[in-house]
Formats: sequence, C-alpha cells, structure tokens
Amino acid sequence: MGLITDIRDSISSLFSAQDPKRIGIYGPPNAGKTTLANRIARDWTGDAIGPESHIPHETRRARRKENVEIERNGKSVTIDVVDTPGVTTKVDYTEFLEHDMEKDDAVRRSREATEGVAEAMHWLREDVDGVLYVLDSTEDPFTQVNTMLVGIIESQDLPVLILANKTDLEDSNVRRIENAFPQHETLPLSALEGDNMDEVYDKIAEYFG
Amino acid sequence: MPHQCTSCGQVFDDGSKEMLSGCPDCGGNKFQFHPSSEDVPEEPEPSAEPPDPPTPDSSVARTVGNAAATVRDLVGSSGSQSAGAPDDDPSSRDPAPADSTPSEPATAPDRTPADTPVSREDAAQADARSEVVSPDEIPAGSDPPTGTETPAPDDTSATGNAEPDTAGGSATPEPAGDAGARVAEEPSEDRPDLSELREELNDQFESIKVLSPGQYELNLMELYDREEYIIALQEDGRYTIQVPENWHD
Repeated sequence: MGLITDIRDSISSLFSAQDPKRIGIYGPPNAGKTTLANRIARDWTGDAIGPESHIPHETRRARRKENVEIERNGKSVTIDVVDTPGVTTKVDYTEFLEHDMEKDDAVRRSREATEGVAEAMHWLREDVDGVLYVLDSTEDPFTQVNTMLVGIIESQDLPVLILANKTDLEDSNVRRIENAFPQHETLPLSALEGDNMDEVYDKIAEYFG
Repeated sequence: MPHQCTSCGQVFDDGSKEMLSGCPDCGGNKFQFHPSSEDVPEEPEPSAEPPDPPTPDSSVARTVGNAAATVRDLVGSSGSQSAGAPDDDPSSRDPAPADSTPSEPATAPDRTPADTPVSREDAAQADARSEVVSPDEIPAGSDPPTGTETPAPDDTSATGNAEPDTAGGSATPEPAGDAGARVAEEPSEDRPDLSELREELNDQFESIKVLSPGQYELNLMELYDREEYIIALQEDGRYTIQVPENWHD
C-alpha cells in the first residue's frame, strides 16, 4: 500500500511542473484499449504500454505512460496515458476456460480482473483529467457499463472522446455508437491498423491540450 | 414475558433487540424466560415459567428503562429473537402468549397470534413487530436465537468473529439456524455506532459480491463512490483496501 502511495506521490511531484493531463483510456473489456494505448505510446515515444490479447481482461492493472508528447500543427501537447482494465459488472472465470486456460489460472485471472475494475473505478474518481472512451464498434454500445461510465465521466465534467474502435472489422457500426452518445464526439478508428489515428491525435490535442 | 440473562441476571423485555447479539453487560448468550420475582435460577429451564403472570408495572418498566439506557442498539434484530418456549410444554402456553407474537415467525411455529393480548404488549415488542429489519443490520455470524435455549453452558465465551475491515462480499448474514452459539461480539467500547456500521456493511455487501471463487458481481457506482481503494481480493472473499491518506491523521 505504501509503495503505491509513494509511487503515485513521486510521479505526481515529478511532473507537477509541466502538469501533463492524465488521460484515462476507459471502456469495456476487449474494446481495444491497450491496443490504442500501445499505438499512441509507440507513435510518440517508441515504447509500448502493455501486452495486448484477444482474451478479455488481459489488462488487470492500470498502466501508465508518462510524458507522451503529441505534436499537432506545430504545437505539442504532453499527456500521461493511463491504460485501465476493462470495466464490467460481472467477472466469471468460466469465460476464460474457453480460451484453453486451466481452471486455477482462470480463477486467478478473474480475481485480478475484479481488482482491476476496482482500480479503474478508483482512478476515474481521483486520478484522470480526461477520458478516451473506447468501444468495440462491432458490439452493441447500449450497455449498463457504458451508460454508467459515461454518466460518471459526465458528472465529473471530464472531457471525453468516444472512440469507435475496430473499424477494420466487417461488422463495425460507427453510427450505432454515435447514436448511443450523441452528446459526445465520436471518432472511428482502428487502433490495430492505425486507421484514422491522425484525426484522433488532432482531437486529443484539441480536447486535452 | 421478559427474558433474563442466565449469566448476569439482567432482564430484557420480550422482543428486545439488544439481547440478540448476546447480553450487552456480560456477553452471555443464554437467556431464559424471566418469571416475575425470581432471580437467576440455576437452571434455564423453560418450564420454570408457569407462575408467570408478569407484573408489567415493575419488571417491564425496569427493562424498558434498561433498553432505553442501552444506547447500543446497533444489533439488528432478526425478528425472531424470542427464545420461545417449546410448544410441547402445555403449561407454558396459556400463560405465555406474549412470546408468540407474530413478530417472530422464524421461531414460533404456528402459534396463534390471535390470542395475544394486546394489552400486554410492551414497547419493545411493538417495535420488533412493526420494524422490518434489513439484513445489513445483522452482524455477520451473529448468534441465531435458536441456540439460546440449549441448557449446555458452552460457548459463552465470545468468538468475536466479526471483522468489519475485511469482510468479503459473500458475507451475507447467516440465516438463523446454524453456527451454534457464536456471537459477534467485541468489547462494547470498540463498536462503531449504528450508522457507521450500516454504512460499512452496505459497502462491503454491495461493491463486490463474490458468487463463488472466480465469479464476481461488481457494483460500479459503489466502487466509484468509495474513498478507499480495494487492492487485493483474497480467496475467501475478503479483500485488502488502501485507505485514503487523510484517514491516517
């Protein structure tokens, strides 16, 4: 506990001079949050943030890439990118068994994923200045988790960009997401393929700069 | 008919809530019906109560006063608190309808509430009857009242199994009928007040619910609203939290 507190303190003091905005990448599991985080980090720092996987809840701890400097139109915007665990209301280890996982590993992954959701919600409460809300555009956006999270983000008055990810997939339906959250700007993208990232960076600079 | 702690002799009004987690004075968890003008008989035998027409003016008034003085009303009543006399004891039936009020459906099987003389109802009974007790008022592992009649004086020492810090989501209140004579007891000075306890239990029960190992239900609003931060779940459903820094001051 103390270690985490110390790390957090040292991080926040380290960058307090520049005060980069901490941008949380939020969304349900398997929306492509880590893929996007890695895309942003690789594009601007050369490093990755964390491992990507098609198995849900690969990211079970919030990971942070500090000081990501994004250059747009001659200006530069510095942000901290926080990749958060996928938020869900139910975690069931049996879901992981379908991915050839042993039961013990699945149960542990499930427990860690639950801790990860708690951590993500905690970060949302205290530690982010803006949100990139990532959705799988092949999935129905009208879910309890999306409604609740976007509602919390709105109640916090955090700037938020909705990202309709996975446009490279055939079933992608960006319009459905636009209709679900008409009060926010929705950008289509494929974090995996890097499609439309220029516009995403433009908007990041505009929203969070 | 009032109940009496067999350890220290304190008398509780029929339906009193404070005895549900054990005697607040001595921690004893054995009670007997308290016949009027009789003090702490050696045997907590239910049949000792035929001479029971309780003189409500004296003992009831006294115990109501006790109840009022007992600020610690933090133990939720399960609504089944009367250590009811066994049904097969005919002598106890007629004179003791007061302990078969409808407020105690869990332990009073098929008694006719119709013959309950309303005039003998006291404040505590009325309270127990009318108040619906929410599960979060019942401490985890609290003593089911069915254990109070066993004459065996074992387990009067508290097991103190309530751990407000670490209780897991699965720690729903136990239904009456198991757990023998365990009492969720702590030194009275350490007990938080009722609202704190309720809030704490609400948090514990609602933010993460452990359905089984590896299966969880999460209440996102609760997780978001709580100041402390859950950092580690354990196999048994308990979890470790990091409290905000300003709590240390």
